Amino acid sequence: MAKAVTEAVTEAVTFWYGCNVLRHGDIIHACIDLLRALGYDPHPVGGPDYCCGTVKDANQTAAGGMATRTVGRLNERGARVVAWCPSCHSHMHDFMQHTAERRFEMSYLVELLHARRAELAPLLVHPVPMRVFLHRHVGFNDLVPVNRMVPEILHLIPGVEVIDSGYLAPGYMCASFAGLPKALEDIHQSTAHAAKEARADAVVSIFHQCYRELLGLDAAGAIPVYNYMHLIARSMGLAYEDEYKAWKRAGEGAADLIGPERIAKVGVTFYERAILPELKKRPKLV
Amino acid sequence: MEKPKPDPRTSIGARLKEFEAAEVERILAACTQCGKCYEVCPMARYSSAPTADGKEVVPGVLAVLRGERGSEAALGWIAVCTRSGVCVPACPDAVDPRMMMRLARMTALGGRGLPKQIETHQDADYFDRVRAFAELQLTDEERKEWT
Repeated sequence: MAKAVTEAVTEAVTFWYGCNVLRHGDIIHACIDLLRALGYDPHPVGGPDYCCGTVKDANQTAAGGMATRTVGRLNERGARVVAWCPSCHSHMHDFMQHTAERRFEMSYLVELLHARRAELAPLLVHPVPMRVFLHRHVGFNDLVPVNRMVPEILHLIPGVEVIDSGYLAPGYMCASFAGLPKALEDIHQSTAHAAKEARADAVVSIFHQCYRELLGLDAAGAIPVYNYMHLIARSMGLAYEDEYKAWKRAGEGAADLIGPERIAKVGVTFYERAILPELKKRPKLV
Repeated sequence: MEKPKPDPRTSIGARLKEFEAAEVERILAACTQCGKCYEVCPMARYSSAPTADGKEVVPGVLAVLRGERGSEAALGWIAVCTRSGVCVPACPDAVDPRMMMRLARMTALGGRGLPKQIETHQDADYFDRVRAFAELQLTDEERKEWT
């Protein structure tokens, strides 16, 4: 495993990972290890108790309450907040900071990694031979230029080749198309076609919300799919298992991988009603 | 005399509502209804009532912001906005059409206390599913400390 570049902790930060990335414990753990390797002391927070409220467009009283609570909690911690989730980061920028006085600095993780490229590069020691098709959206990029920064970060990984593609999906991330199945289907198809045309080895997402949706392409055998953090983790020698991908590939058989003990913790009925359909979902490919 | 305690039902999120109301007023004053925001939108083709002329659509969006009934074309567009933001540099009047559409969406969904005009995808299990994945992916100690 790559050694930390800084022996001493230079800054305590609050790592605000969001809600839906809790599907991907490997991504959360890799981010924490990466922040530590860069000399930060991250305190991770997330889940419904730290919700930004962006999902409550239909109830601004609830959204305001959630934003007030979460800004208050982040204020109490006082440390700089490093956000993983693009929805949380943009909602903080556009709305949340108007509910209560914000008393912390805020960075998006990609911004921080890009700014620390010189310290990040020596951590990326293991080659990851992969011709990468980066799944980009047109939105969010004006707040943080992720469509430029993520390729520049991935170029630090030995063996990674990022295909120079003009591909841009509409919206700012795939999960916002949950109620627009035709548009999401178009995104899946255009992503798969463009990646194959470019002779890519894999599609790589910037956001976990896209990763979750695009994994249907992987599970359907169309093309392997990763999040950019998986490539960083692999190059650092971090060995967290991407369980969500294994469950998604297994579909109906995911229960065998998860095991009866963990399924009992969430409840068999809830698993079958609210989790299994997501794991079995596959895109329509023409 | 003791100051009366604010009613939590009205005070929760009050600053957010004030901000949103101020933004609505700013947008209504700034927008010249040129329709450029609609014309560059990559999602307009997914609207239930697509049209070629943005000038026909934007007045209906502003109507929603004023608390009036939106046109079919406006509601169709509001329902498919996914925050691409392509509209922002296309606007010659610095309206910030992405904010305009977000506020119109909140309003049309009934989120700002006005009658609901559009339906949206509802996921009743959203937060329970997040909690369930936390159970599946984190240790008990991590969930206690981090969530």
